[in-house]
Amino acid sequence: MITAIEAAKPSSEAQHTVMGFHLYKKWKGTLMSNENRAPQIEKKPLSLIVNGKKVGPLDVPVGMPMIDFLHQYLHLTGTHFGCGQGVCHACTVVEVRPDGSLVDTRTCIANAHSFAGKTIITIEGQAKTDAAGKVTELTPIQQAFIEKFSFQCGYCTSGFVAGATAFIDRLKREPVRRDELESAIEEALNDHICRCTGYVRYYEAVRDVALATPGCVLDSKERP
Amino acid sequence: MTIDISRRNFIKIGTIAGISVLIGRLPTAHALEAHSGPSAPGWLSPDGKARYRWDAVRKVTGQKEFALDFRARDLPGWPKEQAHAFFIKATRADRIFEGVDPGILGPDLQPDRLVLHEDLARDGLTVPQPEGFSAEFYGKNFLVPAGQTPPMIGHPVALLVYRDFDRYEAAKRMLRFETNVVKYGAVTGPKTLPNYGAARYVRIGGSSPTASSAFSPMQDAVIWGAFDGDKPVWPPDSPTGVFVPACVRRKNRGGGGVRDPRAVARETYEPMRRGMAAAAEIEKAIEAARHDRSKLVLERHGFSQSIDPSALEPDNGNAWYDAKTRTLHLITSTQSPYEVARAAAVMVKDNTRFPVKTIKLLTGTTVGYGSKDHSIFPFYAVAACFYGDGLPVRLANNRYEQFQLGIKRHSIEMDVTIVADRQSGRFEILKGFYNLNGGGRANFSFSVAQVAATAAQSIYYFPKSDLATIALASRAVEAGSMRGYGTLQAMSITELMVDEVAAELGMDQIELRRRNALQAGFENSQGAQPQGELRNIAILDLAAKHPLWVNRHKAKAAFDKANPGKLYGVGFAQVQKDYGTGADTSALALQFDADGTMRMRHCVQEIGSGATTAQQVIVREMLGKAPDFVEFGVTKFAELPVVSNCSPYASTQKEQDELQKNPYWVPFVLPAMSASNSAYFIGFATRQAARFLFENTLWPAARAIWSEGPSGGQIAGGFMTVDKLRVVEGGIGGDGLETLPFERLARKAHELGLVTGVALHCFSRWEWATATFDIPTVGSVEMPADALSVRYGDGAPATLKRRMSNGGYHFIRRSRVKFPPVQRNDAGVTTYTPAGCIVELNVNTFTGEVKLMRHHYILDPGRVIVPELVSGQLQGGLAMGIGHALMEELPLYEDGPGNGTWNFNRYTLPRARDVAVWNQTVEYLAPLSESSPPKGMAELAMIPIVAAIGNAITHATGKRFYRLPVTPEKIRNALAS
Repeated sequence: MITAIEAAKPSSEAQHTVMGFHLYKKWKGTLMSNENRAPQIEKKPLSLIVNGKKVGPLDVPVGMPMIDFLHQYLHLTGTHFGCGQGVCHACTVVEVRPDGSLVDTRTCIANAHSFAGKTIITIEGQAKTDAAGKVTELTPIQQAFIEKFSFQCGYCTSGFVAGATAFIDRLKREPVRRDELESAIEEALNDHICRCTGYVRYYEAVRDVALATPGCVLDSKERP
Repeated sequence: MTIDISRRNFIKIGTIAGISVLIGRLPTAHALEAHSGPSAPGWLSPDGKARYRWDAVRKVTGQKEFALDFRARDLPGWPKEQAHAFFIKATRADRIFEGVDPGILGPDLQPDRLVLHEDLARDGLTVPQPEGFSAEFYGKNFLVPAGQTPPMIGHPVALLVYRDFDRYEAAKRMLRFETNVVKYGAVTGPKTLPNYGAARYVRIGGSSPTASSAFSPMQDAVIWGAFDGDKPVWPPDSPTGVFVPACVRRKNRGGGGVRDPRAVARETYEPMRRGMAAAAEIEKAIEAARHDRSKLVLERHGFSQSIDPSALEPDNGNAWYDAKTRTLHLITSTQSPYEVARAAAVMVKDNTRFPVKTIKLLTGTTVGYGSKDHSIFPFYAVAACFYGDGLPVRLANNRYEQFQLGIKRHSIEMDVTIVADRQSGRFEILKGFYNLNGGGRANFSFSVAQVAATAAQSIYYFPKSDLATIALASRAVEAGSMRGYGTLQAMSITELMVDEVAAELGMDQIELRRRNALQAGFENSQGAQPQGELRNIAILDLAAKHPLWVNRHKAKAAFDKANPGKLYGVGFAQVQKDYGTGADTSALALQFDADGTMRMRHCVQEIGSGATTAQQVIVREMLGKAPDFVEFGVTKFAELPVVSNCSPYASTQKEQDELQKNPYWVPFVLPAMSASNSAYFIGFATRQAARFLFENTLWPAARAIWSEGPSGGQIAGGFMTVDKLRVVEGGIGGDGLETLPFERLARKAHELGLVTGVALHCFSRWEWATATFDIPTVGSVEMPADALSVRYGDGAPATLKRRMSNGGYHFIRRSRVKFPPVQRNDAGVTTYTPAGCIVELNVNTFTGEVKLMRHHYILDPGRVIVPELVSGQLQGGLAMGIGHALMEELPLYEDGPGNGTWNFNRYTLPRARDVAVWNQTVEYLAPLSESSPPKGMAELAMIPIVAAIGNAITHATGKRFYRLPVTPEKIRNALAS
C-alpha cells in the first residue's frame, strides 16, 4: 500500500510540500491502515450503440454516471448536466427500444454500464448531417423549437428535444384526443426544468408538431 | 492641478501601431466569445426579420456552446490532455479551520496535487483586488488559511487536482456530503467581515412634483452611514464633528464607484447634516399624521427571501498556464468578460513564480441572470491552473456545489411606512429601512442595497421620502448581482402595501395607483427626472379595463360557490424597473469589403437573452444588410486605442475635466452583460455605427450611382436628400429612385475611397457623452460617442490609408468632447420600463396550495427589435417571479445551501404546471413614435407578478402576506388564525 502511495507521488518530501500542512502525517497514517482503504477504481468493458454507431467495448469505471461517459469517453457534450439527481431532466437522451419505439431516459443518475447493449440517440444524433458533419435537416421537433424561439440559453434544450421526441413517438402509437393534447404535453414534459423561458414556447412548439404529425391527435369526439 | 493617476492604473484595449503595449506591466488580456465566426445562414428572412436566433441551430443540435462543453482537446493550441479539480469546503463557519484529511479517499483516489491556502500564498496567488472596487469585493482569500474561522459557510478550504478524469470523478463522488474531511478546532462563533455599507436617500420635494426639491440626494447629498454592530449610525447633528461613513460606494451597478469616506465626509458633511435634518422633519410629519384622522399611516414589516438563481449552466472554468510562452489561457462562463480579463490581469501581474505576459480569455454562450456578473469563480479557475503541472485544469460545479458556492439573490428585511391623505388618496410620505444580508463576500451587496432603497417608490410620486439601507456581512453564502438587483424585493413590498392602503381608504386599487403615479418630468426619490414619458398611467388604464379586473368580484362569487374548498382571487401590481448601470458603455467595429461582405466585432456577449441576434438585426434594419462575419464578447479593440482609469463613478469633476483633455481617455471601457442593458445601451453604439455608415457612406455612394449618366442621372430631376434615404427590399432606395443592392453600394464606396468601416465607443452616465470628430472625406461630425475610428475604401489616397494604423483603422482624435457631469452619478437612475400584471388564481383552503389560472401582462417595451425575444424574456421572467412569490426559498445559515446538501429535489423551481403555461397573455403599449428606443426589460419581467400574486391571494383569502414566499404552510396558518 505504501508503495502505491509513493509511486503515485514524486516523493514523500514533495508530497509534504504539496500538502503544506501538518495533517499530512495523520493522513499518511490513515492510508497505511488497510481498514480504511478506499476501493480501487474498477473498470469494466462497455458496449452500446450511440447515434447509430457501435461504441466499445471500452473500459469504463464501474459507478461512472452515463453523462460523464458521454462527455469524457465519447466527447458528446451536448447532453447537459443539470442536477445529478434525475430531477431536472436536462440530461435526458432518447433510448431506442428493441421494438423500435422511443423512450426518454436520464443519464445523470444512471450508471454508464446500465446502458450496456442499449441503443441511444443523444442530441448530436438527432438531426441529419452530411459527411462533414454539417447539419442538413433538423427533426420536426428541433425545427419547431428554433422557429418558435423556444429556448434562450439552450442548456435544457437537449433534454427537451429528447423528451418531446419520445412524446411524439408515443403519440404515434397512442394518439390522444385534441382536447387532451395540452394536458398530455404537460404530463410528458412537466418534469423538465427550464429557468429561462417559462416553458410557453417549448410547449407551443410541441403542440404544433403533434398537430402536424399524422396520427398523433384525434378529433375531440374520437376515442383513442 | 495635475491628476495623480499613475499610468499603472490604465488598461488598454488594443494596441498602438500594431505593437502590443503593456501598460504598467499588466499582462495584455483579451477575450472572445467562442462562437465568433461566420454568421449562420438562413436565420434572417429576406425582409430582415429573424426567423430564428442566429445561434439556434447550434444550440438545438448540441454543438459546443457553453464554456462547460469545452475540454482542452477542443481548443486550438491547447494540450490534448487535461486535469480536473474540485474543492473541499468548510460547512462550519463558527470554528477554526485546522486542515483537511483526505484519507478516506484511500491511496488510489488521492489528488495529484492538494492545494491549500498556504500554497497559494507562497506562490503569490491572491484574490484580485481591482482598484475602484470596494475592499475585498471578491473576498479576501481563495481558500481559508489554517487557523482561521471561515468567513462563510461553504467557503473552499482545499483544491484537489487530478491528472485524469476517472479518479477525479470517483473521488468527487466519494467526498460528496462527506463532512469529516475538514478538520476544525476551537469554536469561535461566527467571524463575519465588516458590514458592507449604509446609505440613506432623503428627499423633500418642492412645491410641485416637477419643481426643484428642497432637499434631494441628487441636488444635495446621499447620506452615508457607519455601523454600531449591525445597527446603522447616521451623521449626528453636530456642527463641528466630522462623521466618517463606513463605506462610500456609488449605488450604480457595474463595479467601481468607491470613494474615500474621509474625503466624502469633508466634502459633504454639511449637506449630509441638512439631509439628516430633512429626515427628522419627515419623521415629525409621520408622527403628526399618526394623530391626524385625515391621514392614513400604514407601517409594515416585510421580508423577501434568499433564492438561488438556478442558472442551469453551473459556474465553470478551464484554464491553462503555458509557461513556455507565459500565456494564461482561460475559457469560462461569465456575463462580464471584460471584467474577468481585467481582474485576471490584476491577479497575475508581477507574479515571479508564474510570470504571465498574455491572458487569452474565451467565453462560451452562458446564462446567469446576474449571478455570473463579477463572480469570483473565474479567478478560482485561474488560480487552479498553476497546479496542473503543465496541463489545463478544469473546474466545474455540480449542482450541490453550485448551491454551495454560487451567488444568491439577497434576502431583505424591510420596515416600510406609507402616509396617505384619506380624502384624496394622495401619497405623502414613504419611509423605508432595507436591511440586506450580503453573506460572506462583499461583491455588489452595498450597491444592491442602494438600488433596492431607491426603487422602493415603485411607480409613485412621494412628496417626502426617507429611504435608508444597510448591507450586512454574514456567514451566509455570498449574495450579489441577481435579476432584480434589490428592486424586486423593495417594490414587491411597496406594491403589497399599496393594495392595503387602497383597502383602508375604500378605493379601487388601480384608481389609487393612478392618482399617485409618476408622470413625465416628476422627480424620483433621488431628485432626478426620469427620461421620457413614463407611461405608467397608460398601463393602469388598460389594466382597469381588462375583463379579469372588471369582473373579479362576480367571478369570485361564482367560482367560490362552484368550488367548495377553494377560494378565487384576482390581484394586480405595477412597477417600473430601471435599466442600465450609470456607467454604460458599448463598443463595436463594423466594416464591409468591396464585394459587400460585412464584418462586425462587438463587445456584446450572449447570455441567452438573444442579444447577439438583436445586434445583427439592428444592423440589418438600418443598412439593409446583416453582417456576414461576427465576433462577440470582444474585449480587445485594436481599432480603438482608448485608455481609461476605470473610475466612472468615483472621479471628481475636476479629475474628469483634466482627464478628458486626453483624446484617448474614456471614463470606462466595456460593459458587463447586466442591468438589462443590451437592447438600449449596448445597442446604442450599434445604432450609431450603422447610422454613421448610412449617412456618410451609403448616401454618397448611392448619390454617385444615381447621378451616373450624361445628364446628371436619375436623381437630377428630383430633390433627393439624405433624410429621404430608405432601407427597402433588396437594398437602399427612396424618393422613387432605383433600389441599389448593398453589394453595388459597397463597390462604389470602395471605388470612391469613402469610409467603409467605423469603430466607436459610447459612454452614458444617464446622459450620453458627445464629441466632435473631424473625419477626412466626411467633415466635422458631432456624435454621441467618445471615441471613433474609421476605415477608408480601396480607392482612398495612400496618404489616408497610411493613417489606418490602429487595427486597420484611422483613430480620429475628438476635437471637442462633452462628458456628462459627475453629478449625474447622484441621479441614481433615469431610465425605467414600466409593466403591470393581473393574476387570476385560486387557493386550496385545505392544503394552502395556490393554483395560477391565468395572468395578463402589460408592458411598454419601447420599439421592439425582435418580438419573439422580448416575449420569451417576459415568459421566462414571469416563471421566475412565480417561483419567488410562491415556492423558492433558501435558509441562510447552517441548514442552507452552504452546507452542500441542496439541490433541485428540495429547492422547488416552477414547472410548466405552475405558471399557467397555456393561459397567459401579454399586451404591449405601441411605441410613442417610430423613433422611440427599445427599453431594457429582462429583469422587469419577473417583478410585478410577485406582488400581483400576493394581492390576488389577499383577494382570495382576505389575509395579507408580507413575508415571501407565500407558501402553503403560511396560507394554512393564516386561514387557521
